[in-house]
Amino acid sequence: MTAAVIGLSVVVAALTVLVAGLLRSHATILRRLHELDPAGSDARSPAGFPAQVGGPDFRTFPGIPAPSGGPAPLPDPVPGAPAADLSGVTPTGESVLVRTTGMTTDTVAVFLSSGCSTCQRFFTDLADRRLSLPPRTRVVIVTKGPEEESPSAILEVAPPGVDLVMSSRAWTDFRVPGSPYVVAVDGRSGRVKGEGTGPSWEQVSRLLARATGDLGYLTPGTGTEHRHRPTGDLDREARVDRELLAAGVLPGDDSLYPDGGRPGAAS
Amino acid sequence: MIPLSAQGISLQLPAGWEGRIGLRTVAGPAAAARSAAARSAAAEPTSPPSARGRSALAAAAAPAPLSGENDGIGGRLFPVTHAGNFALPPDRGDFGSGAVDVMGESGVLMALVEYGDECVGTALFDHPRPVPRVAEFAPDTLQRRISGQLGYQRFFTEAGRAFCLYVVVGSIRFAPTLLTGTRTVLSHTTIGPRR
Repeated sequence: MTAAVIGLSVVVAALTVLVAGLLRSHATILRRLHELDPAGSDARSPAGFPAQVGGPDFRTFPGIPAPSGGPAPLPDPVPGAPAADLSGVTPTGESVLVRTTGMTTDTVAVFLSSGCSTCQRFFTDLADRRLSLPPRTRVVIVTKGPEEESPSAILEVAPPGVDLVMSSRAWTDFRVPGSPYVVAVDGRSGRVKGEGTGPSWEQVSRLLARATGDLGYLTPGTGTEHRHRPTGDLDREARVDRELLAAGVLPGDDSLYPDGGRPGAAS
Repeated sequence: MIPLSAQGISLQLPAGWEGRIGLRTVAGPAAAARSAAARSAAAEPTSPPSARGRSALAAAAAPAPLSGENDGIGGRLFPVTHAGNFALPPDRGDFGSGAVDVMGESGVLMALVEYGDECVGTALFDHPRPVPRVAEFAPDTLQRRISGQLGYQRFFTEAGRAFCLYVVVGSIRFAPTLLTGTRTVLSHTTIGPRR
């Protein structure tokens, strides 16, 4: 008899735990449903249950297209901080506006300074023409403005063919804690998709690959190689001049005017 | 709109546009070449733009050095403004070489290139600032032909300064939309005295 009572007590206790678990699960489900359709809970039926108002609130997660005419997608569950455009000058005095937002191109802003020894390695690394980047991604070196940084010192270490903006405001906008520091911005969303620091570009590129899930930062050939553009018009003019001079063709040479018309003749 | 200002030139760039205003140091012979090319074109205003300045060295054969310019060694500084609705690469020629190559068919590049004082008042530059229209774009106006792209080149004088406005659109399909953006940028561009 005693054994039966003990056995039944154990069964009742187990069932009690089971029912409590089911009730808790049910409450969780109701809470999540309430979160999905908060408007429906405002108009309550007399019995206290949420009344259905209109159709179900159907929303999709970011990156999944919503049905046409449907409501807006759910907000990004972990949105990056909004990025800022880079406005400043170059060490040679050019006025520059580099857009990081509202562009189809992503931007990797590398915040460096001339006085930081670790930054010297970044300047060297970024000069490497074989530097790999994902498609539609560019690197922009950002130093503090001329009021806080020496343009001539930057000019000495700045790698050729890489965008460089001197802007103290950019350091403030991106809340850069110190140099070196790297921020990857998604051009379309205009939000930061990864940031951090490291002792070299190699380390930082691993960090960026993890943050963005893009192997283009790591494997040469999978992404777009960082290429320097060909020489500009003036370089080409100078090269043509040098080659013509080397070939003995001097200014005014008849061979330069096959049609016989000299540009200076009419003026 | 974000402002961009230097060398007495001010732009307001709408969303998606970026820009640079720089000074290009032009070596002596090349400086002479550029100004002489423009000057020779000014002497022959009916010649098509693509026929001008075919060879820098040929143009450099202009007889006399230009006033205020070093005699072939010191060089001279010319403001060059670039604005576009795409990521401008760091290495660009005055007329967008290096940039138009990566522009894409929905891209537009605007270059505002200043010439020397000797060009002010010449026949070629003696016009007000132009407003580009789609019908005025042509593939043979490009410095270097790129499939699908169309170019536009006009010379003008403003605030006592001689300029060339050079615009390249990525394709005729997007040209009307791209020119709307370009005209917006131009209407928000002011040119004052050189500083």
